[in-house]
Amino acid sequence: MSELRLRVSAAGELTPTVRRFVLRDPAGSRLPAYEPGAHVVVSTPAGHRRAYSLVEPGGAQPREYVLCVRRDTDGRGGSVSMHDDVAVGTTLVVSAPANRFPLAPSPRYLFIAGGIGITPIRAMVRRLRAAGRAGVRLLYLTRSAAETPFLEEFAGPEDTVHHSGGRGRLDLWPYLGVPDDDVRIYCCGPPALVRAVRTLTAHWRLSRIHLEEFAAGHRQLSSPFTAVWAPDGRRVGVPAHLSLLAALRGEGVRVGSSCEAGVCGTCRVAVLDGEVEHADSVLTESERVASMVACVSRARSTELVVGPYQDEELA
Amino acid sequence: MVEGRGRVDALFVYPVKGLSAQPLDRVALRPGTGFPNDRRFAFARPDGRYRPGTRVGLPKQEFFALVSDPRLAGLDTHVDTGTDVLTVRVAGHDVLKADLGTEEGRDEAMRFLTPVLDLPAGVTPVLAREPGRRFTDAAAAGDGPMNWVSVVSLASIRDLEARTGTVVDPLRFRANVVVDGLPAWSEMDAVGRELDLGGVRVRAVHRTRRCAATEVGPGTGRRDLAVVSMIHRTYGHQFMGIYVEVLTAGTLAKGSAVGV
Repeated sequence: MSELRLRVSAAGELTPTVRRFVLRDPAGSRLPAYEPGAHVVVSTPAGHRRAYSLVEPGGAQPREYVLCVRRDTDGRGGSVSMHDDVAVGTTLVVSAPANRFPLAPSPRYLFIAGGIGITPIRAMVRRLRAAGRAGVRLLYLTRSAAETPFLEEFAGPEDTVHHSGGRGRLDLWPYLGVPDDDVRIYCCGPPALVRAVRTLTAHWRLSRIHLEEFAAGHRQLSSPFTAVWAPDGRRVGVPAHLSLLAALRGEGVRVGSSCEAGVCGTCRVAVLDGEVEHADSVLTESERVASMVACVSRARSTELVVGPYQDEELA
Repeated sequence: MVEGRGRVDALFVYPVKGLSAQPLDRVALRPGTGFPNDRRFAFARPDGRYRPGTRVGLPKQEFFALVSDPRLAGLDTHVDTGTDVLTVRVAGHDVLKADLGTEEGRDEAMRFLTPVLDLPAGVTPVLAREPGRRFTDAAAAGDGPMNWVSVVSLASIRDLEARTGTVVDPLRFRANVVVDGLPAWSEMDAVGRELDLGGVRVRAVHRTRRCAATEVGPGTGRRDLAVVSMIHRTYGHQFMGIYVEVLTAGTLAKGSAVGV
């Protein structure tokens, strides 16, 4: 991955525990593009590699990357190094932006941010509101007003800022009780909040629920890809939350299956083109050359051409 | 079940394939009829082979079930087996109460499932229900297997936990009868023999080959533990639990003895 060497052009406290850093190219060049929800991986002066969401909406040629880092004294030291070792003038090695939490089109939105989880949410809300969009509802959950970065920005009619200190946690059910396909939910926050939102949206359409736990470390996330069903050339989108087998089934392509856990090999399909990330425990290396197990294996390339598997000994 | 004696630790009925377990204190078993109220309903795929009146067992892929649709496990459901009223709760809140005995109730329940199963707007599952039939996985093997009762042994699950360093909730295996106090894996050797299940005579007929339904965390709606590949890697097979066929009538109660 390409790396950037950026200079801290401004730094300051947003709250007693949150610092804001503005990163620019030392020569003043424009930076690689990003969209709301993107993050960069920063190498801290103490040697940690930490992912931080970009808090501005971004665009094609941003002048700067802005991060907000909450000091976590119980953490493994990355945020402490950012707080104690980084000042205006510090040069940081930063990855190009990546986006695991992209903003998808929707008639309406419900954003739920817990604490420093506001960072990607702010980028999204600002992007949508700058475009004059209504139906951009925000629930911003923090401990106290003093510990609420960007508090003054979220006082509008569609904003609910709730401080749990003294009042307890906000009951989310009134906001989530009735599922609505015209609403996308984006939630970023501590694991307990993300878990609560996942539980409370069990009756929603999964594709409308976008969850991001911070402090999640290096997760191996699935990427979406396109499968082409060779017999009729049908193009089937395989989103990150579905297996190839499930996506084919959803489009009416019947592939036999049994265990759906990568062990039995019943849903083996022929691979005619594209790179496969094999995740099964049944195929041999030679069998993997031209076939894959559709319930667990995915594309490494953006497109994969697959078809029915026919046993050569029977053919 | 071959050596020593164990006891019945828990009894569960699953009135709807893929939905919540309902604990029982006792159950009356009779030869040839299976576990009362178990898998009496299922959600059939609208583009699949099930039609109202289908009197042959179909493979589980014809239905929405945990193997393919883990989100069903995020719903806390209950069927009153006396009235066929289905209640669905999410985090303690009632979100559906529908009488599966009426067309209106069935339609309401099927519409509720459209987003949960991520079906296109306007597409619903078909509620499968056939008097005298049940939608067990084994039903695809014939009407005799359709009425097999599933049994898991806690000792075997604990052995899997110890060998893999994981916590495996016995509810993942969705058995009707959970037994304890037997040597780990001894139930597998019982296949082909008759057993005494709390005073009910049964014959152990088959080992239960596991699928990805066991990878779904009960109550979570997500696949969170690779149970099938854990079993495969640890033991070189895919089995957990057995099916038994009921030979004599009797009431099976929690806590009753299990033995040869």
